[in-house]
Amino acid sequence: MKVIVKKTTTMLLIASAALALSACGTIKPVQPWEKGNLAKTAMTFENDRLESRYGEHIYTSRESASGGAGVGGGGCGCN
Amino acid sequence: MTKIIEITSVPLITSTGPETLPASSDMQTIGAALLTAALLLPGVVKAETPPEHASLSLKYLNYEEKQAGLKRITANSPSLSLTTPLGADWSLDATLTSDDVSGASPRYHTAISGASRMNDQRTAGDVAFTRYFPRASLTVGTAYSTEHDYESRALSATGNFSSEDKNTTWTVGLGGSHDRINPTNLIVKNETKKTISIMAGVTQILTAEDIAQLTLSHSRGEGYFSDPYKALDRRPRERNQTTLLARWNHHFLGTGGTGRFSYRYYSDTYDVKAHTLTAEYVQPFSQGWTITPSLRVYSQSAASFYFDPVYDAQLGAPFPPGYQFASTQPSSADQRLSGFGALTFGFKVSKQLTSDWTVDIKLENYEQRGNWRLFHKGSPGLAALKAQSIQLGISKQW
Amino acid sequence: MKFSMNIYKKRFALGIAALLMATSAMALDKGSTAPAFDLKGVEGNINLAKYQGKLVYLDFWASWCGPCRQSFPWMNELQSKYGAQGLQIIGVNLDQKNEDARQFLTTTPARFLVAFDPAGATPRSCGVKGMPSSVLIGPDGKIIFEHAGFKEADRAALEEKIKSSLGAIK
Repeated sequence: MKVIVKKTTTMLLIASAALALSACGTIKPVQPWEKGNLAKTAMTFENDRLESRYGEHIYTSRESASGGAGVGGGGCGCN
Repeated sequence: MTKIIEITSVPLITSTGPETLPASSDMQTIGAALLTAALLLPGVVKAETPPEHASLSLKYLNYEEKQAGLKRITANSPSLSLTTPLGADWSLDATLTSDDVSGASPRYHTAISGASRMNDQRTAGDVAFTRYFPRASLTVGTAYSTEHDYESRALSATGNFSSEDKNTTWTVGLGGSHDRINPTNLIVKNETKKTISIMAGVTQILTAEDIAQLTLSHSRGEGYFSDPYKALDRRPRERNQTTLLARWNHHFLGTGGTGRFSYRYYSDTYDVKAHTLTAEYVQPFSQGWTITPSLRVYSQSAASFYFDPVYDAQLGAPFPPGYQFASTQPSSADQRLSGFGALTFGFKVSKQLTSDWTVDIKLENYEQRGNWRLFHKGSPGLAALKAQSIQLGISKQW
Repeated sequence: MKFSMNIYKKRFALGIAALLMATSAMALDKGSTAPAFDLKGVEGNINLAKYQGKLVYLDFWASWCGPCRQSFPWMNELQSKYGAQGLQIIGVNLDQKNEDARQFLTTTPARFLVAFDPAGATPRSCGVKGMPSSVLIGPDGKIIFEHAGFKEADRAALEEKIKSSLGAIK
């Protein structure tokens, strides 16, 4: 029971955080013509793909945590 | 052609006769994680239009790690990445990597004696197609990797949906993978591992200089998780993982630079809980130069079945005190499942040569220590792991 | 578990409602009068009122907008083709830094009028929802249509609309 309450509370907190995040951006929404700086590569979340991969694969083979931003990863011999 | 040379084998001393431990080879070599990274990438949130330019990138990684008294794994990995729009509504992303991994690794904890040498080649590739709609996109991808004793296939689908003003983007993803393991020491044969994962996230433009993202992922895996090349390694046949990732990019109007920050919380059914904090600062200069210093702080707890390097008085290493031979209880002496903290310092320099060509170089220094674990005590008795890597890249767009 | 799901659904619905309200359409309707403006141009000022009687194709662009780069050659072509028939293209630049716009114009020249609006007053009053955006204003000063984005596929349709509007003038 305790585990269910804890998990539910955590899910609610995360959902609230997500909604709060999107609500933040609706208070004074950024207009399309104001997005010049947001268009810069460094400001996007898609960066040097190969660099990100090398980083991810080094870390997943030396640490236990993995993933976070994508889905459906293949496996590796690194249990 | 792969070669695994066993230097020593650690005999078990029992009254029933000698047995030798399996030949050790480091399954957790760098290249093997390539495919895990394949579709677990950051940057899955795609823009609503195909990329303006096609681009081809070539990058080379040299990675070397060591611990006190032992030079460990060295990996050399060239990879190729292609991104291209296909007409007005589609795009293609493809990657190919080859990996040359060699070196020594401890068979248990950070024990130098009994560490074995290995030499392995891996190849991995993945392809993804994206279809763009006015305010949405759908990406379907597949990945494959092969090495002498491990084969992995994965499939995934991710959808992005934006609000009318494009300031909010929702992402959902679903993926699955199937791995086959056939270790050379024949400790198991044709073992498999299946994973299914889901992800949901939101990306929000906060101001003209700020964008943030929150992503929640969950994956369920079942099958063979143990490392057959490590002593006394017996892991549960199920592993469920949950990750919460928060990212934030901020553009500094004063300097023209961008700060990129992220925090990730990880928790799994092995009882491993981890925190990852990264920060990098991208500063462009004139003549197309950009420098990016970066810092990563990591901390994890030990898995519930990990045991410290304290051995049974009679049986000796690698047996934990009171070890029962017939036991089916999970156990592991894998450094990767111990409690520790780690720091990475990185520095990247890139130069835009012409409007189409870019070159870059990145240096990283990594160190992992038991007593660097944050907030709690880390696992004792393990040698610190140090690693250095260099990446050289060149990219052309058209 | 059921109880918590209901709360989650409620909050989700509220969140979506808030989002939708905040991002509700601001675009001006067809047939309404185009808002007046008087902006700095490359040489002298550009006042919309001066072009009463002409078919004005107002294009909102910026140096950082990829599709804008692709639309310029097409707009140059249109201006030379239909200029004599009464078409006047005005590209309203929305860069915060004027030098970025000038840099863009040296590599991608414009053979139509260019006005600078770094404050973003014109796109705001026109209810612009994407970059680039274009507004076709009739000789009577009323809005004929608005279009957001620019793709290869859009060219033919847009040119047709301009041609027919020019035909209507005669």
